[in-house]
Amino acid sequence: MSKYNAPAAVPVARNKPAMNEPVIRTEKLTRAYSMGENAITALREADLTVHAGEFVALMGASGSGKSTLLNLLGLLDHATSGEYFLEGKPVSSLRRDELADLRGRRIGFIFQNFNLLARLSAWENVALPLAYRQGEFKHQDQLDRAREALARVRLEHRVEHNPMELSGGERQRVAIARALVTQPAVILADEPTGNLDSNTGVEIMRLLKELNAEGRTIIMVTHDASVARNASRLYHMRDGMLKEDE
Amino acid sequence: MLGVVIGVASVIAMLALGNGARAAVDATFAGLGADQIQVGQRFTMQDGEFAPFGENLTYEEGLEMLDAIPLVKRVEMSASKTLKARFGRASIEITARGVTADALEGIIESGDIQPVGWAGDAAITAEDLIADGRFFTTDEILAGAPVCVLGYQTAFDLFSGDDPIGETIWIERTRCTVIGVAVELEYTDVTRRYQSNPNEALLMPISTMIQELYDEEPSVYTTAHVTDAGRIDEAKDQIAAYLREKHQIEQDADGNYLDDFDMTTRNDILGQQQEAARTFSLLLAAMASVSLIVGGIGIMNVMLVSVTERTREIGVRQAVGAKQRDIVYQFLLEAVFISASGGLAGIVVGILTIPLAAALNQGTALLLPGSIPLAFGVALVTGVLFGLYPALRAARLDPIEALRYE
Repeated sequence: MSKYNAPAAVPVARNKPAMNEPVIRTEKLTRAYSMGENAITALREADLTVHAGEFVALMGASGSGKSTLLNLLGLLDHATSGEYFLEGKPVSSLRRDELADLRGRRIGFIFQNFNLLARLSAWENVALPLAYRQGEFKHQDQLDRAREALARVRLEHRVEHNPMELSGGERQRVAIARALVTQPAVILADEPTGNLDSNTGVEIMRLLKELNAEGRTIIMVTHDASVARNASRLYHMRDGMLKEDE
Repeated sequence: MLGVVIGVASVIAMLALGNGARAAVDATFAGLGADQIQVGQRFTMQDGEFAPFGENLTYEEGLEMLDAIPLVKRVEMSASKTLKARFGRASIEITARGVTADALEGIIESGDIQPVGWAGDAAITAEDLIADGRFFTTDEILAGAPVCVLGYQTAFDLFSGDDPIGETIWIERTRCTVIGVAVELEYTDVTRRYQSNPNEALLMPISTMIQELYDEEPSVYTTAHVTDAGRIDEAKDQIAAYLREKHQIEQDADGNYLDDFDMTTRNDILGQQQEAARTFSLLLAAMASVSLIVGGIGIMNVMLVSVTERTREIGVRQAVGAKQRDIVYQFLLEAVFISASGGLAGIVVGILTIPLAAALNQGTALLLPGSIPLAFGVALVTGVLFGLYPALRAARLDPIEALRYE
């Protein structure tokens, strides 16, 4: 039986780091690519600290390095130098599968293009991160948790639908439910409203703000100032340099 | 996929032929006991014709063999010739057979023939084969008595239903008294029933036949029974030595005897059958391998396309926590699913082609239940082997690249 009984609205409390330990802390995080003979530094000595419950927006033009930073924070990429502490633990020495495991447990992704799997139903998409934790969740467990997460994004009536049968806003809400289902330490949103019309975009931003109000830590990348205004803190990126707005 | 179908079908046919050859050998065992050595005059190609070679193997030599070689406990001999038989106005052409005293036991041991409608497993005795009268005595055989035993059909053809026992018939220009009539017989092997009729028979003592119906001493077909089946090769050597001395067989430059006789034992037949089955199985194995490799490459190609088409999906799965192992499993499973479908189809096709393969091999094919899981296993292994590379390629995708893939 499921040991999970907490309502989805409860603030993130599991695996709580030591007092005052930020969820995310980077020290001079740098990512350089070699393109032929030229080295391109996409991210230059970024220092970023995000505490639990914060809503941080990263703004910048395309090519400014904001996606590079988000990939590093999402454990999809290795830094060239510097260190990244996720919930106090350095990640630079972790191997590929350890990163995958940590990603599945502690990070929730929301993408611009939703990235739902077309052949899976809404709830199966939501339960996907649980399915990759071998043996931890039985089928019924996965379904229960996915239902709760879908209820939280007000899609309890779309549990068995396929992504193709859903509107853009509904698809993004399924994706948000997928990011919520594991109770992650941080939700990383990459242009979450970029593929939506403005009304739907506003709706999604309202949902993210609600989740933040419930205690979720959110880091969002956007180039849209009106979207970025929803965040409690704002960083600007330019030419790989990270700078916080006052 | 088609490759896997053909490959698995070949595996099924291959196994069936192998098993069939083995079963055919087993069936041959029934005809040739473990204690028997068949000896006959050698036939060779001479001027484009298949003709007897060297000296005849005579009736006397067969009898002497029994005395001269202690390991031989019994010798059956027979000689056949097509002749005219006549009674009153009735006249037929028939293959008469000169036999020794234990001919009926030999027929029973061969297992080739049974009384019509004989019930399953019950043992047949010599008495069961005779409907009226009796069979030859040893004295009659040795003395060359002018007596004969008729097959069921032959008796009817000559006597039209009258009792033939005690009547005298003419065989060519020799008089012969009918002392027995056989029961109606049939071949145990159904397919042979269409080829010849065991009821068209006329048996005589072999000595009578040789004295009266041959112009010169014929070659006889001899079956020697040894006292100990375990020493059959020893007995074979002794028979060879005896006949080589009798026929003054010479050796060629390499020391091989230029024998004018051939000997066959159960082991010899086993060897020949296995040789034939092995050759055909090898052919099928080659076909199976080529088909499976072609099919495997097809699967690999399909899977590589699938991996490419689903690059984004792989990226998503990696982002939500799929480890390399998880991705490998996913794509391996799909490859195995394809090969398993092909395998199932192949098993059906294989079963359907068994009769054809058997006909080509001029042998029997036998499908054992164990062959099906084995063939299916071959399909699964093909799926795993050829699915591994695409699956590994999928698992090694960079999640960032994969997520960005359009």
